[in-house]
Amino acid sequence: MKQAKDALKLIRRSPYQALAAALAMSLTFFVSSIFILLIIGGQIVLNYIEQRPQVIAFFKDDTNESRILEISKEVESSGLTKEVKYVSKEEALAIYKERNKDEPLLLESVTADFLPASIDISVNRAQDIDEITKLVKDKPEVERIITPENLIEQLVKWTRTIRIGGIAFVSTLTGVSFLIIIMVVGMRIALRRDEISIMSLVGATRWYIARPFFIEGALYGLIGASIAVFLTFSLLLFYSPNIQEFLGPIQIFPVPPLFFLYLWLGEVAAAIVIGVLGAAIALYRYLKIR
Amino acid sequence: MIQFESVTKKYPSGHLALDNISLKIESGEFVFIVGSSGAGKSTLLKLITREISPTTGRILINSEDIFKIPKSKIPILRRRIGTVFQDFKLLLTRTVFENVAMPLEVLSKNSSEIEKAVSGTLEKVGMLDKANNFPLQLAGGEIQRTSIARAIIAKPEVLLADEPTGDLDPKNSQGVVELLEKINKEDKTTVIMATHNAQIVNHFKKRVVTLESGKIVNDQKEGKYETG
Repeated sequence: MKQAKDALKLIRRSPYQALAAALAMSLTFFVSSIFILLIIGGQIVLNYIEQRPQVIAFFKDDTNESRILEISKEVESSGLTKEVKYVSKEEALAIYKERNKDEPLLLESVTADFLPASIDISVNRAQDIDEITKLVKDKPEVERIITPENLIEQLVKWTRTIRIGGIAFVSTLTGVSFLIIIMVVGMRIALRRDEISIMSLVGATRWYIARPFFIEGALYGLIGASIAVFLTFSLLLFYSPNIQEFLGPIQIFPVPPLFFLYLWLGEVAAAIVIGVLGAAIALYRYLKIR
Repeated sequence: MIQFESVTKKYPSGHLALDNISLKIESGEFVFIVGSSGAGKSTLLKLITREISPTTGRILINSEDIFKIPKSKIPILRRRIGTVFQDFKLLLTRTVFENVAMPLEVLSKNSSEIEKAVSGTLEKVGMLDKANNFPLQLAGGEIQRTSIARAIIAKPEVLLADEPTGDLDPKNSQGVVELLEKINKEDKTTVIMATHNAQIVNHFKKRVVTLESGKIVNDQKEGKYETG
């Protein structure tokens, strides 16, 4: 308890340095939180798209149902699909009506004959889309194929870029925070040089002398990471309607409160490690006790 | 008992501070270490607290070679030794009470123990009424008494005083040494005081070890310091 009080006293003695250290930590962990959310969000979008039919083959009007079912079976027998679903002209009309129920103009005079029958194919692995597309493309009955293959590829590429970029950016910021902690704790040690030498002469152990500095480093971590998670939570709460509107049918909200608890715990733990490690390096570098 | 066995200390700069000295100080003794500036007095005291290490030779406290003690045990050694400095080394941002309490805080004593011990020690050195003053509010003699209180609060076996009267007038100097003598007599604490104040040394008639260019040139009971 006394050591914690000493650490707080250290912080009060030069609040601007303490503020700089805590803000550097906040920035690092705020950016980390944003990247974590982007990566998780990207993964949710990717999962959503992967679960949707990835290849839709539309048939010419004169193709009869038995031939379509034959082709469906052939596709299924490839072993690459998760699901192959036949959508008849009537079912297509029902889907069309459901999607456009708020726009009566679009529903007027549309009958099942206007819409083509199709098969919706979901593949097991995104990389099999190509082969399935090739398989159905060769059928003379198939009029048109829709595949979101490019979208998935793009998304995979983007999530990978965000991950790599995030790691690089967060690593740089972590390095900066680390250096700031070393500098701030180093300055504190210099300011307390006389006190430290007296403490050492009256029999204080290295650990007794070092403890307030470790606590100080850990406090910067705790405060910085807490501010970062609070900011992230507030921003996400504020922008959630816009984000949900942008994502359309992909449900991300509400984010479970447990997620934020885990994010906070994880970031606080990481920040405390950075703070304590920074303090340890500063102590090793500047605390010369004989 | 403190024993120096053929101790030589040469600093990295090449300065030979102590040159093959052997010395034995019994428990409960009061010894003046005298000599001009640079004679090796402070070096001798710093060796006892292991602030520096000898180039050759051994230093034993109660037959234990203090340079064989592992680094992690140095604080325990230092708790057995109180030190008083010429420049006092008090923390200006702490009150007299807080400065004196420091060695007990280091030992993680509880506040009631600290309160009791600090009050008792301040009373012994005549500083109880100044407990809440800051060092800058004290006179030279009072500052040194505070420094002595800090050195003796943890009841050390040995009290080292490095030129404790160096910055004091003759009256305060005499008062400080009288206090050290009282501690020596009442608590049976071994007192080793480095000084070049001949008047003080000659007045108190204690054992005097004279150093000159790092060598012991004289060691006398009830000795004198001849500066001529």
